[in-house]
Amino acid sequence: MKTKRYYLAPLLAVFLLQAGVTAALGAVSFQCPGFDPAADSDTNGDGMLRATDDEISNPLTPSQVCMHLTGGDGFVTMADGKETYIFGFANVTGLPDNQVLETGIFAANFPAPSIILREGDNFYLSLTNVGMMLRPDLFDAHSVHFHGFPNAAPVFDGLPDSAVAIVMGSTLTYYYQLAEPGTHMYHCHVEAAEHMQMGMLGNLYVQPAQNRLPDNTDLNGFIHHTGYKYALNDGDGSTYVDKEYPIQIGSFDPAFHDASESVQPLPFAAMKDKYAMLNGRGYPDTVNPDPLPAPVKNNGKVSQPVSTLIEAVAGEKVLLRISNLNVTRFYTMASPSIPMQVVGKDARLLRGADPDGNGPLLGQNLYYKTSSVTLGGGESVDVILDTAGIEPGTYFFYTTNLNYLTNNTEDFGGMMTEILITN
Amino acid sequence: MNRMNGKQGILIPVVFMLLMLFGGQAQAVVNGVTGTNFNFAVREGHISSPDGGSILMWGYANGNGLMQYPGPTLIVNQGDVITINLTNELPAGNPVSILFPGHSVTASGGSQGLLTRESTSATDTVTYTFTASQPGTYTYHSGTRPELQIEMGLAGVIIVRPAGYSPANKTAYGTGDTAFDHEYLFVLSDIDPNVHDMVEFGMANQIDNSKRVSALWLINGRMAPDTMGPAYAPWLPHQPYNCLPRTNPGKKLLLHVVAAGREIHPFHVHGNNATIIAKDGRLLSTDGVTPDLAASEFTIQNEPEETVDAIFTWTGKDLGWDIYGAGVGYEHDCVDNSGDGFDDVTHEYCADHNKQFPVLLPEKQDLVFGGFWSGSPYMGNSAQLPPGEGGLNMNGGYFFMWHSHTERELTNFNIFPGGMMTMMVVEPPNVIIP
Repeated sequence: MKTKRYYLAPLLAVFLLQAGVTAALGAVSFQCPGFDPAADSDTNGDGMLRATDDEISNPLTPSQVCMHLTGGDGFVTMADGKETYIFGFANVTGLPDNQVLETGIFAANFPAPSIILREGDNFYLSLTNVGMMLRPDLFDAHSVHFHGFPNAAPVFDGLPDSAVAIVMGSTLTYYYQLAEPGTHMYHCHVEAAEHMQMGMLGNLYVQPAQNRLPDNTDLNGFIHHTGYKYALNDGDGSTYVDKEYPIQIGSFDPAFHDASESVQPLPFAAMKDKYAMLNGRGYPDTVNPDPLPAPVKNNGKVSQPVSTLIEAVAGEKVLLRISNLNVTRFYTMASPSIPMQVVGKDARLLRGADPDGNGPLLGQNLYYKTSSVTLGGGESVDVILDTAGIEPGTYFFYTTNLNYLTNNTEDFGGMMTEILITN
Repeated sequence: MNRMNGKQGILIPVVFMLLMLFGGQAQAVVNGVTGTNFNFAVREGHISSPDGGSILMWGYANGNGLMQYPGPTLIVNQGDVITINLTNELPAGNPVSILFPGHSVTASGGSQGLLTRESTSATDTVTYTFTASQPGTYTYHSGTRPELQIEMGLAGVIIVRPAGYSPANKTAYGTGDTAFDHEYLFVLSDIDPNVHDMVEFGMANQIDNSKRVSALWLINGRMAPDTMGPAYAPWLPHQPYNCLPRTNPGKKLLLHVVAAGREIHPFHVHGNNATIIAKDGRLLSTDGVTPDLAASEFTIQNEPEETVDAIFTWTGKDLGWDIYGAGVGYEHDCVDNSGDGFDDVTHEYCADHNKQFPVLLPEKQDLVFGGFWSGSPYMGNSAQLPPGEGGLNMNGGYFFMWHSHTERELTNFNIFPGGMMTMMVVEPPNVIIP
């Protein structure tokens, strides 16, 4: 009687809460200097606390940003309707510590809550391990690996082999000073092959400081104006965009998830992903602008809020921050009707070194136009779609590994989304 | 977590302890053979997987040596004329050969095969000759039934040193932008054990390549945690090459990344981006001198048969806290006379000097600890850990995992962790890396 196990949720919550109460240590402990849980909250609803949004009473610096995630389990709905067991992260930012467990247990999202930062931020990221409700046999720790963080230190790298990871009922806080912009990604690195196949993956990117230059700044002939956005610090406006979308490639092997749910040996070598997704959904769910309805098995908690519907007015430039965190294969993504200009790879501008290192002479430009990009796990690219001259209509962005345009056995789905161009 | 994981949890420390015993061999060099004339024989042997498995391989052997996987790494000098004599000690009916992609080769002796001249027996010598005209990283591999023989292990690497190369003037391609302090080889490959079993059982003619499925993933012919063992370990006689990169802050690490299997691998370097300076033995350059077309990546896409040269440097810049600790008990100087922002000796980033560690770490009972965790977030420091925890980080170094980001490849026969993975360590500045 599998369904009975869901009633364990409050039980586990009580157990963890009591553990937190009775032990002197080992409790939920959100660290955000100057944050007052009685007065402060995520007022603008972006999932983060930001000093410049007046969401932290007494920040150490104006560039302070805080976030609080939980690591646990839950369910998501595949595009063919199958409810699938996952491990994942949920966002509890701003909640008082004594509400974190009951909110964060059995609330895993896929993809994980997006982490959107700005170059120069001082970022405090707390991770509370709320345990896996459907797997009481597991005592797994969790971590956050900020993938591609420049000059990382092991203590905040999230690699359990070289540092520490957090046990159930407790909180570990990571700190990152964002000195460089770019499209990164994040995931749990504990038992990586298992926890990542199970869904502990999310979007993470850092917007460039060039976005916040004073009005009328001359960038080698390109005049910056307030509100302008760029992919990276290009020095010449060549990565200007009107809007940006994170797109994370992911895919699930239903046999693996079913084996995990029913506590069976896990197939690694035989892993074969059959649900190919963008931002945690297969087509046509990718183009649903709203959060997907909560899975029945999830006790009514919404777990797939991220849409991948791309919308632009003809003439706009659209930045796609594409990352791949699937654990089984490479995927090729194509936009055959709207050419893509690749301007960044792995959080760096595609440009050779500045010849004399002093500017304003720029290095060799390595941007290229293409209709497809190929990414393996752990790779990211910054792609600009220029919609100038594109007729209004619906265009597709999809994998040319065409057998992955499926939701398991259901055809016409999978790793695909739509680009809507309007006048 | 799979219950069987416990076994390998023990194995990693054991292997590492053994490494420490044989520490003198953990050198920052690419192991291989040097010279201009080589006698290779193709022989059979069994390689080991860390779970005790044993896989039949065919490999190139140097002289009278054992067959090895990958084949002997040839380290030669630009301009040298290289001669390789090949004989064949495989069971009759399996002719063998060598192709040298990127080189113009003359072959003599033996008999003509589909792609090149082949050796059919121990007394049938084929001689291959080529001039190592351009520096860089190259592969060599079988040109006879390559769909079977490369899978069986007939593949290796050639590193051509640029003219003017010396231990005091180490460069990858002869110019200052390609200079390095330490270098390491990463031969990435994959194995379908079923193919090897069928060869061993005399059923090679029944192998169906369309059904090939990898189950083992390797770096330099070893599966983690054996990748971190010593080079030339006596208990791995057919897998002489290890992969344990070490460096110090600010030093330049040259990576020779070579895909020698069937699959494309995304090789992720924790710690920092690496700059891709060359592919397939050619500098990424408009003028042939400066790698001005080089891009910086945190995951290196390594396609089958491709070689990539990359330079990696870790400095700890801009972390926002002092990696050597701040305040009482952590007193140290940061002296920057050169004006590059870093201490002239330790390469500490002076702008972060004496800045406090930004967060409170949980108490020990709230954490699980990695074997490579020193107990302290500070470089060169350590702190007491619960019994049985840590212990693999003698110098308080910063360890980073370098691995395939196709994470299912971090397994050996379905057991995590293992496979295409190793640890790179940034040792404190006072630790001298040979």
